[in-house]
Amino acid sequence: MSDEVEARGGGVPDAAPPRVRVTAPRADAAASARPTAHAGTDAPTSDISGVYVRSLIRSQLRLGVVMAVGFVVATAVFVLAIAFTPVLDETFVAGVPLSWLLLGVGVYPLAITVGGLYVRAATRNEARYRSLTEDE
Amino acid sequence: MNPAIGYTAIVAVAVASALIGFYGLRVSRTTSDFYVASRTVRPWWNASAIGGEYLSAASFLGIAGLILLTGSAGLWFPIGYTAGYLMLLLFVAAPLRRSGAYTIPDFTEARLESVWARRVTSTLVIVIGWFYIVPQLQGAALTVRITTGLPSWAGSLAVAVIVAVVVAAGGMRSITFVQAFQFWLKLTALAVPVVVLLIMVGGVEPELPPIQAFPAAAGPGDLDVYRTVSLMVALLLGTLGLPHVLVRFYTNPDGTAARRTTVIVLVLLSVFYLFPTAFGLLGRAFAPDLAASGEADALVLLLPGRLVPGPVGDLLTAFVIAGAFAAFLSTSSGLVVSLAGVISQDLIGGSVRGFRIAAVASSFVPLLVALATESAGLAGSVGLVFAFTASTLCPMLLLGIWWRGLTARGAIAGMLTGAVLSGAAILGGSLLGAAAPGIRPFLEQPAAWTVPLAMLVTVLASRADRRGVPRGADAFLTRLHVPEAARRHRQG
Repeated sequence: MSDEVEARGGGVPDAAPPRVRVTAPRADAAASARPTAHAGTDAPTSDISGVYVRSLIRSQLRLGVVMAVGFVVATAVFVLAIAFTPVLDETFVAGVPLSWLLLGVGVYPLAITVGGLYVRAATRNEARYRSLTEDE
Repeated sequence: MNPAIGYTAIVAVAVASALIGFYGLRVSRTTSDFYVASRTVRPWWNASAIGGEYLSAASFLGIAGLILLTGSAGLWFPIGYTAGYLMLLLFVAAPLRRSGAYTIPDFTEARLESVWARRVTSTLVIVIGWFYIVPQLQGAALTVRITTGLPSWAGSLAVAVIVAVVVAAGGMRSITFVQAFQFWLKLTALAVPVVVLLIMVGGVEPELPPIQAFPAAAGPGDLDVYRTVSLMVALLLGTLGLPHVLVRFYTNPDGTAARRTTVIVLVLLSVFYLFPTAFGLLGRAFAPDLAASGEADALVLLLPGRLVPGPVGDLLTAFVIAGAFAAFLSTSSGLVVSLAGVISQDLIGGSVRGFRIAAVASSFVPLLVALATESAGLAGSVGLVFAFTASTLCPMLLLGIWWRGLTARGAIAGMLTGAVLSGAAILGGSLLGAAAPGIRPFLEQPAAWTVPLAMLVTVLASRADRRGVPRGADAFLTRLHVPEAARRHRQG
């Protein structure tokens, strides 16, 4: 269960660094920023720094949504797995059914894991933004 | 129960809180100190303080009571209370810190450039705060009645007075110390009794055999999907808008520290909630007779004395009473600090004297409500406040941080829609719940439909706003999302 989440959440931070390190920052920014500039047609984004900021906001929002959806889906799968495994109701550990114990403690490690992955990835997004703007 | 234990524990916590509060008074001098502790609080302190402030009567007494009363449905409350901080981390923590505002109404005005949007937000913050304080005072009433035999009103009055005095005297810097202390007190006050109880009950025959104490019909397999989903929407998104939690994030030095603090909060809450859960599970096996509405919330207070006879049991009882009182005091004082900040800035002009007057006012209005109403389960009451917050402040905050198209009219329309819908549903659910069984879950647990509707109205009304987006929207969003170090670089 938690393996699945780590794989899901881990995809984001693990995929990000090669793009920063392998490609030159300028080329990376141009590639990711151009569609953003066209998407927001009602906005004055003539200067390049505005484009960088919009790209930063977009990547942070995408990261947050991916992490939130990952957490909710993983929790739902976890709970449904407990609900549809009746043997857990009949297995008693210290007088309490395993199903109750799993629901009582299982979701917290998931939340902490997702939170930790998010902080790493969000900080990386900001570091990339800084390396772009400081190059100018 | 021996009333001396109750008196001793309650007086000890009150004195300790007041002492730490007055110690803080010596270091809080300027107006800025009063509101946000000059933003010099370190992540661990800050995270402990957030935990101390957040863990209310609902967490300390309510969750165990609810698990005893309803079974595994009660397990969802601590999950939601914790996961709410994950949502806060993902969408709010760092940008809100970078906004540079003191309170949520400050944020609204800076983002939307509208005094009316600010006034609506302020009103909502005050209403939410008051209705969040009410269950704290009701928890105090229950605790005092059960542990000392005094009438219920004495507990509510004592907490309201202590909070008003400490907040008016010390402001938030001292409250940060008090809150951090309260978190560790609350954790210890539940953890030690749970460990001792688990050791003691090893050889004791439970009141009920496991198969009856934990029937599959009340287990995780018997999931009420709508109610659970709606509760999760309320708790996950409601946390984003809680005024006393948000104001605490302004005390982080920068956005990165705000994120680090939130992760620490996740860890602290996860550890804490193991213990009320354990209390609830022990209660189902060893004290099933307490499973009556209104009495179940006293489980945490009564179980140690029942299972452990003699002085050890008395000591453990004193411990949980102290922890419970710490919970009422810390959550109420956190709420009163944020309410006093909002009221004094909006109505009295933001002086230190105004803050003190507002602090007293924000303690005594909820006291009147608490004295006039009957508690209907602490965890449930707080859950409804979360649903209301999620339907009103959360759409404005989320869209304000992430969508440049939000306008003042859109935000006001969305907040009012959410307030009217969720307020009417909550009132309707308690008034005619039994008369309309078909729509009862939708009234008693409204967040699943009120939050999306409020969100939708906010977006549509913003789009329809002919005045367009606020002129400073781009600059403000830049401020929210650009890391502080890079901002300094841009300026320098």
